[in-house]
Amino acid sequence: MIEIKNLAKKFVVENPKKLSEQEKKDPRLKGRYFHSVLDVTFTVEKGQVLGLLGPNGAGKTTTLRMLSTALQPNHGSVYINEVNVLEDPLIARQKIGFLSGTTGLYGRLTGRENIEYFGQLHGMNKLQIENRIEELSALLEMETFLDRRSENFSTGMKQKTSIARAVIHNPEVVILDEPTTGLDIMATQTVLDFIRGLKNKGIPVIFSTHHLGEVEELCDRVTVIDNGVSQFDGSVDEFRGQAQNQNLHAAFLATIQQGEQ
Amino acid sequence: MWLVLLKELKELVRDKKTLFFMIAVPILVMPAFAGIAIYFAQNAATEAQNKVLNYALIGAEYAPEIDTKLLQLKGFNRIEIDPKADYKKLIQDNTVDFVLEIPANYSNDILQTGQALLKLHLNDSGLNRVFYRVNEIVDEQVKKLREIAFKKLNLSEKQSVAVLKPIILEKINTANTRENWGEKIGGLIPYFIFILCLQGAMFPAADLGAGEKERGTLETLLISPIERYKIVLGKFLTIAFAGLTSALITVSSMALWGVILSQGLAIQFVVTFMSSIGAVDFILMFLMLVPVVAIFASILLSLSIYAKSYKEAQSYMGTLMMLLFIPIFLAMAPGVELKGAWAWVPLTNVALAIKELIKGTMDYFQLIAIFGSTALIAVGLLAFCVNWFNKEKVLFR
Repeated sequence: MIEIKNLAKKFVVENPKKLSEQEKKDPRLKGRYFHSVLDVTFTVEKGQVLGLLGPNGAGKTTTLRMLSTALQPNHGSVYINEVNVLEDPLIARQKIGFLSGTTGLYGRLTGRENIEYFGQLHGMNKLQIENRIEELSALLEMETFLDRRSENFSTGMKQKTSIARAVIHNPEVVILDEPTTGLDIMATQTVLDFIRGLKNKGIPVIFSTHHLGEVEELCDRVTVIDNGVSQFDGSVDEFRGQAQNQNLHAAFLATIQQGEQ
Repeated sequence: MWLVLLKELKELVRDKKTLFFMIAVPILVMPAFAGIAIYFAQNAATEAQNKVLNYALIGAEYAPEIDTKLLQLKGFNRIEIDPKADYKKLIQDNTVDFVLEIPANYSNDILQTGQALLKLHLNDSGLNRVFYRVNEIVDEQVKKLREIAFKKLNLSEKQSVAVLKPIILEKINTANTRENWGEKIGGLIPYFIFILCLQGAMFPAADLGAGEKERGTLETLLISPIERYKIVLGKFLTIAFAGLTSALITVSSMALWGVILSQGLAIQFVVTFMSSIGAVDFILMFLMLVPVVAIFASILLSLSIYAKSYKEAQSYMGTLMMLLFIPIFLAMAPGVELKGAWAWVPLTNVALAIKELIKGTMDYFQLIAIFGSTALIAVGLLAFCVNWFNKEKVLFR
């Protein structure tokens, strides 16, 4: 279970003069601080998939980075299976499988070596790593390129390897930041099937996306973040109700408009 | 930490660019450049020595011996010119290579006529041997004129020698060969080693910090269950290893190629000089390099972590290299010795200590103090680097 309460994060603006006119008008810019996340709260239960939605720059990535321990929040709390992420980040990291939105691979290592390295960092032994790689390779259809150097991988190959790397240690929760961005239809389907597999195993999954079709297909819950605040948090059906049970696209726009009012 | 180090080393040996700068450049490219330069220099010198020089002799009638000698020698070709001509223009036009002017007071009886001033007009820019070749002929004549004069004065051989050089100041050098050559070239050696260490460490450093950011692998590494200081130490050791390896390869390569290229004469000098430096001093020199490389690795890693991209990291490192020239240059400046305040100037003191070790005049207690102070700075910079690696504003710029 993942519990996030009243999460907030601000950054010092290094050079305010370099901000664009649009950035200067952002209500989250206060003095020399930019409040990227002001107040985000949501919960994901065991076996649930939560779709994190929001326009570009809404604060989704910052929220996920705080959740993954990459960033320290200024306010609020994060619990993963009752472990306080802020107090015990090292223990929390053992429980989290995180795929960042700007993920990359070590180009001079093969796909297998990339995954192995993170298995070793998670304290897994050789046999455990080998078995897990075989399992993930079959699930994500990676057999044909696993032992090639990753510098020449296609976007789909990179993303599959990154996902395998993120979950090599059998994490208790999985966080994926835009995992299907830039992927072709086949690769997207493989990733979505993989997420469905995690859900079936009872692993809570958070994934941010701009594809509402994926939300419709996979998610149990939806959280919409805009201007650093969670504007909506509820089931997919409740979300649809935001726009008189029309499609998710209309619901999303209605939520954003309500937030602006 | 060891996991990070092993993975970084694996990547390092697979990086063709780094391997090229770390191994191929010192082993092959640098000696190849040196070899090409020596080849062209030697060719130019031989050509200058064998070139047939067109010349004009003004006042040939006053010095028939010089005139005859020039006509007899193969490498000279006489050109007749108007004595009132513009010599500079004739040399510029390549009509002649030189014009030798002999004055009217020139005679074989120098006791009567006194000293003669011969004027040699030539373009002395670039590599040419005109002065050297003409001077050989003139020198021969000088000896003859001296002998004539001494005979006229009825001087014995002993007296003649005394007249030529009434007093000799004999230099009895208390410095041995090692100290002597150590003083001359000892300042250059740490300069080369420092620069090579820095250069060898620069490429991996840019890749290990800014490269991780640019590739998008840093964030994944940050959220792995390993303390950040261990990540920094793993990366730091990789950079330090690269720096030391690069320096060792370069120095060994330079020594090897030096012996191969020198062929004969210089070998004896190299062997004498090198064999006078004991193994202990070599080990001490290497030990002194360890904290220096640690300083370089810490600074390079801090800069690389701060940079947003590989390109930005390289621009910072270029500036750093310029700044590091200052303490190293100071060690080569005349009058700068390992005394007083200089013993406490970071990097300058190590460069001076290496020079003293080469000379064989190092005070080993002072060496311990220099090693200690440099190691302390290295530890401080490494601590800064670890702290730097924990700052969000650095990692997520």
